[in-house]
Amino acid sequence: MDAILSGQLLAAALVTGALYALTALGLNLVYGTMRLLNVAHGDLVMIGAYVAFWAFTLLALSPLLSMFAAAAIAALFGLALYYGLFRRLLEGGKAAQRLEANSLLLFFAVSVIVQNVAALQFSGTPRGFQYLGDVYRFGNVAVTGNRIAAFAVAMVLCFGIMAFLRFHVMGLAIKALIQRRDAAAIVGINVERVQILTLCLGFATAAVAGALVSMTEQISPFMGFPFTIAAFVVIILGGLGNVTGGIVAGFLLGALETYGVALTSSAYRSILIYGVFVLILLVRPQGLLGGRRIVR
Amino acid sequence: MKGTAAVLIGLAVLAAAVPLVAGDYFVGVGLSLLMYVALTQSWIVLSGMTGYVSLGHVVFYGLGGYVAALAWGVIPLAGIVVFAGLAAFVLAAAIGLPALRVRGPYFVILTFGLAELAKYVVIVIEGWLGKFSRVMFGGPGLDTLFYIMLGLAAAATLITLLVRRSRFGQGLLAIRENEEAAETVGVPTVRLKLLAFGLSAIIPGMVGSLMVLRSTYFEPALLFDPVISFSIVTMAVVGGSDDVKGPLLGAAGFVLLSELLWANAPQLYMIMVGVLLIGFVLFVPEGLSGRLFRARRSGAK
Repeated sequence: MDAILSGQLLAAALVTGALYALTALGLNLVYGTMRLLNVAHGDLVMIGAYVAFWAFTLLALSPLLSMFAAAAIAALFGLALYYGLFRRLLEGGKAAQRLEANSLLLFFAVSVIVQNVAALQFSGTPRGFQYLGDVYRFGNVAVTGNRIAAFAVAMVLCFGIMAFLRFHVMGLAIKALIQRRDAAAIVGINVERVQILTLCLGFATAAVAGALVSMTEQISPFMGFPFTIAAFVVIILGGLGNVTGGIVAGFLLGALETYGVALTSSAYRSILIYGVFVLILLVRPQGLLGGRRIVR
Repeated sequence: MKGTAAVLIGLAVLAAAVPLVAGDYFVGVGLSLLMYVALTQSWIVLSGMTGYVSLGHVVFYGLGGYVAALAWGVIPLAGIVVFAGLAAFVLAAAIGLPALRVRGPYFVILTFGLAELAKYVVIVIEGWLGKFSRVMFGGPGLDTLFYIMLGLAAAATLITLLVRRSRFGQGLLAIRENEEAAETVGVPTVRLKLLAFGLSAIIPGMVGSLMVLRSTYFEPALLFDPVISFSIVTMAVVGGSDDVKGPLLGAAGFVLLSELLWANAPQLYMIMVGVLLIGFVLFVPEGLSGRLFRARRSGAK
């Protein structure tokens, strides 16, 4: 019982929660504006993690700097996917008939390709590096510097993006698109430009989350999928398209996972995540916090 | 239609002759070809007909394999196969009612999540039982498995063919085109979807029980491998799911590809599968059979 109430677990839950919140934020924006469920989202986390890993091992560059490079690479990848695959689908035509199911198949294919190209290039062996490994003590809680940094960056980004959505014209346009696509076009919002921007932003945040994750955990070409699932749980919990709800839900899932594993054993981690995922989809697909229904 | 029937019977006779003339290698390849024909045809009864794309069909395959692993040595082979199919049907019936209320892309990720959940649950159960993989001795010979699999592939093809031409199949197609409209004109959508789900689960369960006996060992991560679900969907998309010939074309192409690449370069194989899926979704959404069929028809005009 003491272990459960300790600050140590709380700190772990907060760090995991912040990373989930950041990862899910990108997925939420892309879904909200384009109505595309990106199942390759976790693979962008993986790409970001590898950028940070190679920048650190080859160039001795801090992940806190290389995360900008990771963001740029992921944004470019998003741009390429948009022009290569999704514009055709969003514009209509033969393949657009079942847009959502088709886009999902495309993202699955992209995910499989990215994972296997990474496995081919970097081998399947998990890798890791030591950065900011010093332990800081707050009372009786010990936290490594890299976890503090990951938490801080994730929080700054989450709140930065929330402020951007609230105050910047482009951010307002994104929100308008999330609320009413057709109405947004009528009041003169350039829907395509906003979609491209959102896709790049969403991909970039995932890659930054990956760079942060690489400081605290081992990375591998197949590390992305658990993040995809976690991000889905978070955005469904928080309400699809609901950014604030998503951040709250990120912390909720972080706590659920950390305390759930602490109470049982790590063998149950996957069951816990997938169980919550399946349960939410079956019981409350409109989300716990958001009132928005997902009926197409 | 008579032409199709003749082609199918011809193919079945040809397949039945394989173990008589070819060596074990080719019988093995034939077995995995038939396995994918059976899986993809079954998948089409639900996903091709209703548009509820299942990306978790491996769960029935895996369950069938688990049943076989538990029952091997206790009940005879025929009983195991029947029981595996029954178990898959029961599972589909149990999860079908809540799962089939979820639509579109949510159904896709839900089925995927369900299959992964089942995998981890089986891993934990096996952990409790203190088993991390099971070995089954004295399994049936390769030829026996081949002929049973041929029967399953033929049965799956026949079921898809019959469903498509029945009133039941028309109801399923109506659900795919517009579920609300179908319900309004009196199609019992819930009942039809459930029946299709159950029907599409039985044969994959049976196939799983055979494949576990073929490999002679059971390991949850291999039996519940999401790659199998992914392959089924890709074969149906590439072959085309509006025609009973589609899965035959799709399965043949992919088994060939996998024989060429899987053993030496599994990553390359997966990359090729991904590329083909993207290409067909974007450019040939009607699939190979749709493309070939249409080409022939417009050529005749």
